[in-house]
This record gives sequence, C-alpha cells and structure tokens, in this order.
Amino acid sequence: MSVLLTADQAAFLQGPVSMNVGAVGRDGWPCVCRAQGVLVARDRRALTVLLSSARGHAVLDALDAGNGISTVFSRPATHATLQLKASGATRTPLSAAHRAVNTRYAAMLGAELGTLGYSETLVAGLIEMLTSDDLVALRLTPEIIFDQTPGPAAGRVLARA
Amino acid sequence: MKPTLESLRACLDGAVPSVVATCSPDGTPNVAYASQVHYVDAEHVALSFQFFSKTRENVLAHPYAEVQVIEPGSFRHYRLKVRYLRTETAGPLFEYMKAQLAGIAAQSGMDKVFVLRGADLYQVVDIVDVDPHLPPAPQPPDALLRLRRTLDQLGACDDLARLADRALAALTPGFGIHHALLTLLDETGGTLYTLASLGYSASGVGAEVALGEGLIGVAAREKIAVRINYRTGDYTYQAALRGGDPTAPRIPLPLLGNPHSQIAVPLLHGERLLGVLYAESEQDAFFNHTDEDALVIYGRHLAALIAQFAALSDDAEPGPAAPEPCVSGVPLAVRYFAHDHSVFIDNDYLIKGVAGSILWTLLNEHATCGRHDFCNRELRRDPRLALPDFGDNLETRLILLQRRLADRCPAIALEKTGRGRFHLRLDRPLALEAR
Repeated sequence: MSVLLTADQAAFLQGPVSMNVGAVGRDGWPCVCRAQGVLVARDRRALTVLLSSARGHAVLDALDAGNGISTVFSRPATHATLQLKASGATRTPLSAAHRAVNTRYAAMLGAELGTLGYSETLVAGLIEMLTSDDLVALRLTPEIIFDQTPGPAAGRVLARA
Repeated sequence: MKPTLESLRACLDGAVPSVVATCSPDGTPNVAYASQVHYVDAEHVALSFQFFSKTRENVLAHPYAEVQVIEPGSFRHYRLKVRYLRTETAGPLFEYMKAQLAGIAAQSGMDKVFVLRGADLYQVVDIVDVDPHLPPAPQPPDALLRLRRTLDQLGACDDLARLADRALAALTPGFGIHHALLTLLDETGGTLYTLASLGYSASGVGAEVALGEGLIGVAAREKIAVRINYRTGDYTYQAALRGGDPTAPRIPLPLLGNPHSQIAVPLLHGERLLGVLYAESEQDAFFNHTDEDALVIYGRHLAALIAQFAALSDDAEPGPAAPEPCVSGVPLAVRYFAHDHSVFIDNDYLIKGVAGSILWTLLNEHATCGRHDFCNRELRRDPRLALPDFGDNLETRLILLQRRLADRCPAIALEKTGRGRFHLRLDRPLALEAR
C-alpha cells in the first residue's frame, strides 16, 4: 500500500528544496546522501528520486540489499520539511525526463539559495555538483509521511498507508 | 587521505544545516536536520537535543548514526560515522551549545522553538570526503598571523591601565575588531566589572555583569570561550544581564544594540579566572573557529600580564606632598551610602563597592588631614576598606575609580605618581555626607 500525496505536497517536493535520502547499510549502520531531484508520479503515489551513483554509493548499496528508505525534503527559505518513508526502493532506468528534472531542480535550488545570500560562485558550484552525469533513478512508493518542520510538532504523521 | 575532524571545523559552525541518519530497532531509517553539530575535540562531536525526536529515540536504542556536514564556502559534503555516547545537561559543553544554538536559532528565525535540553555526545569513528574533486573553500584569514599582529601592537606596557587600553586597541589592527570590552572578576567572584572598552560612544567603565548571565557571564562561570555567529534575539545571550536589585544604581554596558557576531573569552591564568575579554561585530559570522583559538591564547597572555603586574611590589610610602592650589567654587555634594559603599556626586551615581569605599576613605583623609598623596600599601592595611589579598584587585579598582571620575566628575582626579602611589587632585571644594 502507498499513501496519496496531496497536490500541495507533490508541488513542495518538486520545488526548491534541499533533499536527502537515508538508508541502513548491510552492516546496520545508517547512511545518508544528498538527492539531486525528484519526480512525483502522475497518480501522486510514487516518487522517483535521483542520486549520484558515486556520492550515493553507500545508500544505493543499502537499497540494493532490500532495506528501507527515508527521504527528507526541506525548503531553505522556510525550513518547512517533509519526511517520506518506504520499505524499499528499486532502481529504474534513467530517462531524458529524469535528466531534465535534475537540470531544472539544480537551477531552482541554486536560485533559491541565491535569494538567501549565497554568492554566485558558490551557487554555480552547487549547481555543477548537483548536475552530475552519473545519475541513478530510484522509484519508491511512500508508506508514511511526516511533518519534519523544526519545532515541537516535528515528527507528526501526516499520512499513513 | 581521510580528512580529520579538526579540518572540518568550518562545517560545524551552523552556517549550512547538517542532516543525521539514524535507524530504529526494526531497521527503519530516519533522516532529520540537526540544528547544531558541535566540534568537541579531535574525536567527538555533539548534537543539540531540543525535542524528544525520532533521532533521539533511535540512538538511545541503536547508537549508530551518520551525520552529513557541509563546508559553507564550497558546499563540499562530508559524512561522519558516529556512535552515541551520552547526553550532557550541564557544564561547559552544554552551556556553549546553548549559547551558540541561540545564535543559530535566531539566524534561522527559530528563536522560540530552539531550546537546548541536552548536548548529545558522539564519538566520530570514520569520516568520508564525499566531494574530493570539488575545490576547497577559500582559506579564512590566518588567525596566527592576526594574533602575532595583535601582540606586536600590544607591545610593552608599563602599567595595568595602559595594558587594559592597549589590549583592546590592538584588536583593531590585529583582528579587525572595532567593539570590545575588558571585564575583570571582582573580589566576591560573583560579578565582573568593566575596566576598559573599545569603540562605544560611552566608556561603560564600571558596568557590571553577573557571573553566569549573558555571554560574558557564561564564559566566566564555565571558563570557556563562547562564540555566537549570528544575531540572537534570545535575551539571555545578550552580552550581559545584570542581576540583583533592578532599582540599585547602575552603569549601563555600552554594547551594540544588535550584534550579529559575539565572542567572549575567559582571561585565565593557570586555572584562575581573572576576567573576560568580549568582542562583537555587526557582521554575521565575523569570528571563525580559528579566531576563537587565537583569542583564547590572547586571553591567556593578557591574564599572565595582569597577574604579573599584580605581583609587582608597591612603593613603600606615599610621594612627597606637593603644595596644592586653593580650590574655590560651589562645593560638590559627595554622598556615601555605607550599605553598598555607593558614592553619589551632586546626586549622580558614581561608583559603589570596593572602589566606592576607597574613594570615600581618600576624601575623608583629605578632609580631616589635608592629605593629597597616598599609596596602595596603606590602602591595603586600612581596616576601613577590608580589601582582599589580591594585589591586582586594588590596582584595577583604582584604575576603575580613576576612569569613572574622569567620565563623570573631572573635578576629582586620581593621578598616578609612581608604582603604587597616587595623588588626589581636587578642583572644587567638597561637602561630604555619609548615610
């Protein structure tokens, strides 16, 4: 079973957010990696998250082992944060659409950070880092969504399958 | 080559949020943002514990986590494999993180929700450089060179008053600091008082700070340097709060209304706290971790110099009496309140405590014996003053008194005439009244 994302949640995930993916390695040690774009399925019940295979080596290995996945999305300007979890994720072939998502995402996050006072050089470096050519696409169907915005309400379940 | 934790200190200043991955006993991963990942030493970091979060629940059950930190000037990512050890809820680490969190919270607009419950201590067992191909951040200014320049400017000082002023003035060419205070611990050990200031419209000499309150008070109580990188609206982290009776006379601290960066460094001589050096700036992240290191060394150097002056012996006797010109004019009304040794001149508060007591004694000696010339040694022996043993305390109180008089009542002046000797100059007649 998967949860149905609201239209607002889908828009939020595909907006100028900082995104990270966590998993638990074969040795039981948690690992985390920055993601480089996300595509929400038309039915809003699945996501495709993009990772760099080099930067996400440990997370990808953990997911290949069939372990669970956590994805967290946070908007730098507002700190609004969502966490979505699933019992696993599977690799899916990288498409031209995924590459377009990645390019658009890097530009969007760069622009957001630019408005927050980060220098042009730094933003350019970030965009370059996020548009790596070793992308891997991971498909997951979220089973639970948490509000993770900092504060005493962080951790509130917004939807559960 | 693996990076060392020391080389990642710039990543641990809260400029770019870090994330922490943990795992619940059933193997479900959790990723959360960490408000603060604090460098403790070469092998440990501490994470702020603000809420009873999933992260905390997880590490209490399964103490392994991974923290991803980012270098602010380059966006290079590093991953720290860490193992949870324990939570500290008091002491220097907790107090430092509490103060720094206030700055981070204010910077991120989270003042009201970021309250530190504990400092979760983790051992760092491995560090992974995620982006070895990315260029490193530009190097910050060389703090060692800044320290050397500051010490060159400080030069040789032949008395404590000059040292106090030059210690602050040297920070401008050295570190680019334009606003600073030198505060010393008083004889009760519960209060610091301002001996010198740099860059404010009012000197603030004599202004007091209670131990443990505000940034200066926390640095003093915990004997640690405390640095806040961003403007904080949290009133407890204003540089100082003044405890005690709010109606009692006070000298205001002359601080910036809205500092974006603050640092308070203890003046430690061995284990003994002599005071606190405080500096602030209107720029965000003005002081980096290497500046903190350098200013901690500077604080120790200043403390050693202050202690050295204190150890010098005073001249034995007061200097020869010089003929005094007759003074005329309307008498200054000098009122003394014995309960707190406060002195008011023409109804304006001047000073209290030991310095007030010294002034009252000198003025009475002058009124009854016509004396103008005094020495430290006789003050130390004077039963009316009940001075503590620390030599530096008397000397610094005399400097404080001298400066307060210069600020508020130039008609009464204390002029140094030799080591441990001084002259009381009066330009107006006095009317003394004790209450």
